[in-house]
Amino acid sequence: MPFGPIFRAMTRNRARFLLIVAEVALTLAIVANCVSLIRQSRAELARESGFDDENLLSVTSRAFAEAFREDNYLDAAIDADARTLNAMPGVRAASNTYFVPWIGGGSSTEVMEGEKRFRTQFYPADLRLLDTLGVKLVQGRSFTREEFAPGSGGSAPANAISPALISEKLADLMYPQGGAVGKVIRDSQGVDAYRVVGVFGPFYNPYGWPIGDYAIFYPARSGNFRSIQYLVRAAPGQARTLIPEIEKTLLAANNGRNVEVKSIVEIRSFYNSRDQSVVVALNAVMILLVFVTALGIVGITSFSVAERQRQIGTRRALGATQADILRHFLLENWMVTTIGAVLGAGLAYAINVGLVTMVDGAKLDGWILVAGVGLLWAVGLGAALGPALKAARIAPAIATRNV
Amino acid sequence: MFAYNLRLAWKSLRRNPILSVLIVGGIALGVAISTAFITVYHVFSRDPLPNKSGVLYYVQMDNWDPAAPAHPHVSGLPPQITYRDMRALMRSRIPARQTASYQAALYVFPGDDRARPSQEPVRMVFSDFFPMFEVPFQYGSAWSRAADAADTGPEPVVVISSVLNDRLFGGANSVGKTLRIDRSEFRIAGVLAPWRPSIHMYDINGNPFSDPETVFLPFNWGERLEIRSTGNFDNWTRFDGNPTLKDILFNSEADFLQMWVELPDEASRQAYKSFLDAYTTDQRKAGRFLRPLDNRVTSMRDLIRQWKVVPPQTKAIASISILFLIVAALNLVGLFLGKFLARAPQVGVRRALGASRGSIFLQHLIECEVVGLIGGAIGLLLSLGVLAFFNKVFGSLARTQDFFRLDLTMVLAAVVLSLVAGAIAGIYPAWRICSVPPARYLRNQ
Repeated sequence: MPFGPIFRAMTRNRARFLLIVAEVALTLAIVANCVSLIRQSRAELARESGFDDENLLSVTSRAFAEAFREDNYLDAAIDADARTLNAMPGVRAASNTYFVPWIGGGSSTEVMEGEKRFRTQFYPADLRLLDTLGVKLVQGRSFTREEFAPGSGGSAPANAISPALISEKLADLMYPQGGAVGKVIRDSQGVDAYRVVGVFGPFYNPYGWPIGDYAIFYPARSGNFRSIQYLVRAAPGQARTLIPEIEKTLLAANNGRNVEVKSIVEIRSFYNSRDQSVVVALNAVMILLVFVTALGIVGITSFSVAERQRQIGTRRALGATQADILRHFLLENWMVTTIGAVLGAGLAYAINVGLVTMVDGAKLDGWILVAGVGLLWAVGLGAALGPALKAARIAPAIATRNV
Repeated sequence: MFAYNLRLAWKSLRRNPILSVLIVGGIALGVAISTAFITVYHVFSRDPLPNKSGVLYYVQMDNWDPAAPAHPHVSGLPPQITYRDMRALMRSRIPARQTASYQAALYVFPGDDRARPSQEPVRMVFSDFFPMFEVPFQYGSAWSRAADAADTGPEPVVVISSVLNDRLFGGANSVGKTLRIDRSEFRIAGVLAPWRPSIHMYDINGNPFSDPETVFLPFNWGERLEIRSTGNFDNWTRFDGNPTLKDILFNSEADFLQMWVELPDEASRQAYKSFLDAYTTDQRKAGRFLRPLDNRVTSMRDLIRQWKVVPPQTKAIASISILFLIVAALNLVGLFLGKFLARAPQVGVRRALGASRGSIFLQHLIECEVVGLIGGAIGLLLSLGVLAFFNKVFGSLARTQDFFRLDLTMVLAAVVLSLVAGAIAGIYPAWRICSVPPARYLRNQ
């Protein structure tokens, strides 16, 4: 391979090659960091709730009729709504709870196991909640009808041991040896105690801070004068038609309130909208950037071919084949791209250091750079191919012409 | 001379339309992307209250459970304060103005029996809130400080947003009319002019991009009517037996209030900080504030930064988009080189006829800048499309369809960016063409 002569030829015309080097270096640095940022946001977006999101609906009832201020009336209304919802055609299961996937809604409390403290989220649950969410009972049993204490307000009964279901992740964290079922959990203030009757999974908390996938369900009605929350799991394909039906049915049952029904899919896209826009923006930048760089390489290589017509003609006249000329330009391009890529790798790390401090971003992965170099080789060769072929077709006779 | 150069530039552009379209397109693309992303960053990071964000201070106190680790909030302290501490702080005369505040949700009953009542987001505030946050009024005004009064009881007055006024009264002046909210009647004291600060700066505990509330009530109605907070509510109080709602809200360690004070200078800030420290130290005698002394008085400007309200990715993407513009401009260097050097014989003649190198350089640089500006103008139009797209994706979070919009600063930024892009693309080719030796091109003609 005639690296030497090509390199010497390049040094005669530095500016042109420095341009390509700069372009390739910047492109690689930007693309590598974009991919790094995208992977980070993708990880958030790809997160699964573990629930039957596609078929879940959130139903919020906001009362204005004064009667709802009365505890007994409120409890009766909650029970009646739950029955009504569960009886609707197209509904697989419906529950009364504060928890809404991709929103949250419980309260955060510390619990003790021996001397160790664990922060977890507490949610009131009814008998059907696991079925409504579409999560499995991994160990133990669910709540019984007897355990479902009367009374609402969302707070656990004071000074009594309440049964509880805990999430698999919390069970693993608190009882790494296993055997969570039967254990008694106390809150860190020593007020409330819970006996674990079952373990369920999967579960997640949609919160920014490190609460992990830790959750405790306790049996209670949830709701107050201002708002009562239900989750409805529709039979597959029924969710859309159920949205207006549920509002109509609940209002027909009790008109002293407004009812809002939203699909969990819509709530999830709201939750994801920030990461979603980041991914879209970065993808667009990357694709356009590679396109623009390719155009630039075509431009500069064409120019370089046009400028060297005479030399090419002379080489051809002295016996170089068309393949030699083609190889010359492709090799030249490959060398320039490679130099640019090496510089770009360094630049990519420099930019990454800035990004890491700016967005708590992830460190740049080596393989992203490797893939980036591969991509730029392909783009560079593809872009240079056209002008190089044109160069190969230059007639030897050009050498004799007086330019 | 300048006009002549402009004319030359225009002629040159028309001579090779395909090449011109490529060059202009390249700059347009670069300017579109960078303007759009810088705008996104600009909209997020724009100071919501430039006149006030340095003198409005947010109060935090560490009343968290002494047995627990630090509060998990990004600041390491409970983000809000308790009701009883608020009562004590409001007695201070150091701040020029002050308000506590929290969000609630209450039903508003339209006078018309046919319309359904609607649950509205409500903000509980003291009268100082309105001047502190430069809230604009369309009709009437804020209620007076006297109407706040805790001892004699607050007056039944309310301020409503223009949105609610449009819905209930068709936009007419409704000052003086009464409105039933929850179970009580309130007299409308003022109607806000359309008001949508870039961030929900007086309460960034929830979604910092939500719209302002539609109903503003005197704070002291909160205790009277036992209005609960619908915002963040952190409570670690140990209650004996079954606490009443009053106990939980007003006589506990429940943090649910934002406390803002207006401190016009450094001296008053220091004085206020000492006042806070003295207060918490004193409270320790009563067995409260048992964690290490940590009171903070943070300006709105710093708070927005420290609580990371602006998504950090926007800054990263804005920087990346500027690099993108630079690459786009670098790409055009090759195209300009080809274009200019093809003209070398003609330039040789001009040089031989006496044109100086400087005027040749200027001629070509102006051509590049003309291209830059044309591309920039097209890019600016394209960036509107990009922003419209972001409004669609992001709009659900901001609850509005024109959250991202170009303002004058951004238009100027786009002009500067296109001039810079033109310069990056043009300086080297212009220099090359002006250093062409005239003799070489005269020989064979």
